[in-house]
Amino acid sequence: MSTNYLFPYKTRWLGLILILVHIPVKLWWDARYPGGYDHNIPYVEGEVTPLFSPPHLFYIATTLMVLVGLFLIAFSKEKIEDEQIAQLRLDSLRWAIYLNYAILLFSLIFTQGGNSKHFLTLNIWLPLLFFILRFQWVLYRLNRSAKPE
Amino acid sequence: MKNNIRVERAIKNMTQEELANQVGVSRQTINTIESNKYIPSTLLALKIARVFGKPVEDIFSLDETDLK
Repeated sequence: MSTNYLFPYKTRWLGLILILVHIPVKLWWDARYPGGYDHNIPYVEGEVTPLFSPPHLFYIATTLMVLVGLFLIAFSKEKIEDEQIAQLRLDSLRWAIYLNYAILLFSLIFTQGGNSKHFLTLNIWLPLLFFILRFQWVLYRLNRSAKPE
Repeated sequence: MKNNIRVERAIKNMTQEELANQVGVSRQTINTIESNKYIPSTLLALKIARVFGKPVEDIFSLDETDLK
């Protein structure tokens, strides 16, 4: 069989841990810097955010951790990664790209200036999240339709 | 595309799981092939035919909708 460039099956648990770990980090940061930062890219109009300053570190510890977590969950192998799974994976990926570009087009038409930035932030994780949800849903349906003999 | 995997399995007294293990796919994939929901690749069709010791045309055949 051809190489499919996916992470090993167990990598999904590492991804899940990264996403769960970001919650206490976020809570701790909120306690330390009350009213501090949200999950957005540390970018303020007309200002340069220094590298590894608190907002930048917060960004790495939350947004990027969630992003890497989602990435690992999305692209780890199933227990038996056969050709049908590969087809479902590709199909889900296509839907995720469709949705992503639909939202992107919508945002390009209806938002201006600073608001566009929020859509960029959304764009970081939305395709991955939608892909995971859609893929898990079709897998669930596949398993349900294939009742034991 | 039609197939008679279910019949061939019955002749060999083989479960979906056993066939799946022999050709390296999940049981669900064998199930969806049997119920004509999924069309296997040439590679998988050849592997399945090999398990039953028959040419691939004896297991899989075109139906009318494929010829349109």
